[in-house]
Amino acid sequence: MGGTIRILCFAMAREATGHALLEWPAPSEGVSVRDLLQQLCEKYPRLLPVLRVSRLVRNDRYLGKATGRLRAGDEFAIHPPYSGG
Amino acid sequence: MSVKLTEKSLSVSRAYDELEGPGLGGIVLFVGRVRPDRKGLQRVEALLYEAHRPLALAAFRKLERDARQRLGASRVVIWHRLGRLPVGTASVIIGVAMAHREAAFAACRALIDRLKREVPLWKVDQVRPEHRRRKLPSPSAGR
Repeated sequence: MGGTIRILCFAMAREATGHALLEWPAPSEGVSVRDLLQQLCEKYPRLLPVLRVSRLVRNDRYLGKATGRLRAGDEFAIHPPYSGG
Repeated sequence: MSVKLTEKSLSVSRAYDELEGPGLGGIVLFVGRVRPDRKGLQRVEALLYEAHRPLALAAFRKLERDARQRLGASRVVIWHRLGRLPVGTASVIIGVAMAHREAAFAACRALIDRLKREVPLWKVDQVRPEHRRRKLPSPSAGR
């Protein structure tokens, strides 16, 4: 029985998905980061160009590459280019 | 407090108070404010600032540590405001206190430049109703 992955969408990612927070169903074996991104882009095509320029974060740690697996209970964040100040 | 993210207004005088200390000959304060849109169309009425809070605060602490250890800053203030900020509102205060002015100017400049590049903060234009095409969702609560 899988749970969900919390996906935080900031700024341009929020605009592209229409959601600040997505609760994404996770299979019991988890899902690869790459597959999750593909699923997200299939559902939200406007996210693709955003992802090309975004940093990815899993459980408050930056991912150097879109690799690894996500499991139920994990938090995943999409960071478009920063614009503070 | 030397670093903070807050929904409350930022006070330059309180930042100055944080930076004061004996032997500190130069205090440099940078205040970033919400600009009207660049094209002069009066389209933007406010900016909506958001942060990935845990990572933004960790990044602030790293900036502060680097300013002390690498740039020799004696005291540092890095404050950023979140939420909906109308044009003209202060969104960020960076302050550095050091023995001499040149180093203080350089450190303050380095801090605001790094903040813009390295800290997960975002601003999104809030346009006036007559210019809106669609409604945007609000940022995640508590993040």
